[in-house]
Amino acid sequence: MFGDLERTPRTLLVCDRSSFLDEKNRLSSQVEQLHFNYKVSMLLPECSSAPSHLEAVLNSFNSFYLIRKLPIHELLDKHFLETSIHQGLVSGLSYRTRIDEDNCVALMPNGHLSLSLDKDSFELLGVEGKLSKFNQRTNSRYVVSVDLTDSSLAPGGRGYQRLVTGLRSRLQLKTDFLLSHHPGGGASLQALLSRCDWSEHRPEVRSHTLTDLFCPLLTSDLQSCDPHLLLEWLGAVDADVSCENSSSSFLSSLVCPEPKTTMSRALSVSVCGLLSPQDVHRLIQQIRCYLDQPRLESWASLTVHGFVDSPVSWGGDEHGVLRGGENFYSLLMFHDHTYHLHLGTGAHDTCPP
Amino acid sequence: MSVFMDLNLSFTAERSRLKTLIETAAHLGFSTVAINYVFEPATKKKQEIPTPTPIKELIDELPVVQGRYRPIRVLNRLTVVMSDSSHFRPNAAEYRCFDLLSVQPTTEKLFHAACMIYDVDIICISVTEKLPFFFKRAPVNGAIDRGVVFEVSYSAAIRDSTRRRYTIANAISLMESCKGKNVILSSAAEKPLELRGPYDITNLGLLFGLSDRDAKEAVSSTCRSVVLHAETRKSASGIVYTMKTCSESSSQQEAPPADSGEAPAAKRAKLHLTD
Amino acid sequence: MRRADTKNEPAVYRRVVLKNASPYHYMKVCLVLEDESTRLSAVDLKQFIVTGLKSLYGEVGAALTFDLLKYDEDSLTALLRVYSRGLVKLWSSLTLLGSYQNQTCAFRVLQVSPFLLALTGNSRELQLD
Repeated sequence: MFGDLERTPRTLLVCDRSSFLDEKNRLSSQVEQLHFNYKVSMLLPECSSAPSHLEAVLNSFNSFYLIRKLPIHELLDKHFLETSIHQGLVSGLSYRTRIDEDNCVALMPNGHLSLSLDKDSFELLGVEGKLSKFNQRTNSRYVVSVDLTDSSLAPGGRGYQRLVTGLRSRLQLKTDFLLSHHPGGGASLQALLSRCDWSEHRPEVRSHTLTDLFCPLLTSDLQSCDPHLLLEWLGAVDADVSCENSSSSFLSSLVCPEPKTTMSRALSVSVCGLLSPQDVHRLIQQIRCYLDQPRLESWASLTVHGFVDSPVSWGGDEHGVLRGGENFYSLLMFHDHTYHLHLGTGAHDTCPP
Repeated sequence: MSVFMDLNLSFTAERSRLKTLIETAAHLGFSTVAINYVFEPATKKKQEIPTPTPIKELIDELPVVQGRYRPIRVLNRLTVVMSDSSHFRPNAAEYRCFDLLSVQPTTEKLFHAACMIYDVDIICISVTEKLPFFFKRAPVNGAIDRGVVFEVSYSAAIRDSTRRRYTIANAISLMESCKGKNVILSSAAEKPLELRGPYDITNLGLLFGLSDRDAKEAVSSTCRSVVLHAETRKSASGIVYTMKTCSESSSQQEAPPADSGEAPAAKRAKLHLTD
Repeated sequence: MRRADTKNEPAVYRRVVLKNASPYHYMKVCLVLEDESTRLSAVDLKQFIVTGLKSLYGEVGAALTFDLLKYDEDSLTALLRVYSRGLVKLWSSLTLLGSYQNQTCAFRVLQVSPFLLALTGNSRELQLD
């Protein structure tokens, strides 16, 4: 009976190793595909304050809007479609909704609108959709995914009318919504915002300096270090957990992976909010510039967490929550332009790209 | 999956305790709770079936569900503890004041009747004693076909270790028969610190012999089915619905409007049929 | 349990997929006590959890190793690490722990993940107003 108690839900960890100099490296597409980023945290070893070019990027992450009780059909407003969605300038995600309980909405920058709905709402909406991959047996959740740039959804057409009527009159779906826009897309949002209760938010930047900590010896070949141990160490640094234990300690036997060295100091900076992949990409470029200069330690790491309750994770793949909806990646970059990318997901997710 | 529910918070006349109980449930992430009034007819003297106190009189402002804007939804539930078939009166008008109706049969015959005949929503599984009967496949399947669910409550297992043993043993014996279908897990908590979060209960369900998925459904989708089952029970085939228009006797608090979109009760998710 | 598909290309490109390979699970928990002025040291807390394991799973349960990675005495919040095989047991014994030194208590499990990193990046904690 209790044999099953040792099992845990599925987890996936993809480890990629490549080089920025390799023309076939897929890093930028992997970064682009995680549309909704909640937190970016960066670790710079042997550094006490970020150089100005990094500081500038961290402080220039695009701001985003919180719209309260947005009727979702407003996103299909003809003017908004033409000025923002068709230009690929906006993306957004429902806020204060939980993917394993509530109706969730995501608007991807490529113009795809993804709705994760419970059975009642799905039937009320009356638009074609698919059964959620993770709730197959009970038929309790459905995913509706529409391409708003498709000609069949051109304003005035039948498909468009059907979706708008469904959202406006039948389902009356309203939710708090986080909206971010690409540089230059701000103006096109004004018409939408003028009809709603909204506030603008800047991503929150926090930094702190760590001193005298153990650190695994990180070199670009990284043969010796197990990826889970490496991620555990990065997590321990982020959560401010001490690794100064021995296997005989009563409280904790967490130790730094061998072979290890010590760092006299390190800088950890995090940014929280609805962050766009483009901003993350800019940050990666600046960290590469930073690594180009000779340093004591020749690496830097960057971890990006996706939103737990987003209906999609990488690309347009369905995402869900069983116990925790973690979807994140951790990038370890080296002076010689090689990098190690670890992409992790929980039980209700497809394999990362 | 649907929202998390705890369909069994023990009623207490102590108003402040009931209030903190509901607040704690909301804080833990439950979107719907039911206040449970237990009615245990004694053999000799005649007793009154309790009447539910409308939630508006108990609590001024309903607390907001964790991480969301909407307030918690509170239902009323009656549990009849039966040791004799006369204890359940199918047409009692008093039952109609409650949103959910459940029975706790104490003999095999009554269990059979509860599964096959009684118009109830929930059958409680005793967690305070070793079961005096086995769960036979036929009545269990009958109950599953009729959309009646079985309830295992966990707070007795927190209070005392003997009851913990009975809870686990009886739950496992139930799961052997019902294969994890039509099971809800609820607290039966009297104090706020006896409540546990939805994910904790999901994990606890594994000890009762449920799978990961069934355990999560036992605090969400299956509970939703019960609430809808109760709504259809009050109406004729889920189509005709009668209510008094002059008084405010309808105790069921409306589900929060608009943000989830209310569906007619007839659209309830299909309960698991035998397979 | 473990699948690895490795492509070796002439350059340095290498991709490995690890399924269910996470050796540990991590939990963020908070102890709530009836008497809020009660103080517990890290050692007390760990011993208390061990008694919970022992009462539910006996000596074998008490022998389940887990680590108290971090503990904040003011908020009674802790980070735990447990072998993935022991997660269900540790979690269920936390759930069923109901009293500490004759006062009622409850462990509130705030987050569980196979990645320690995920515990510092939970978007459900995003507060905007």
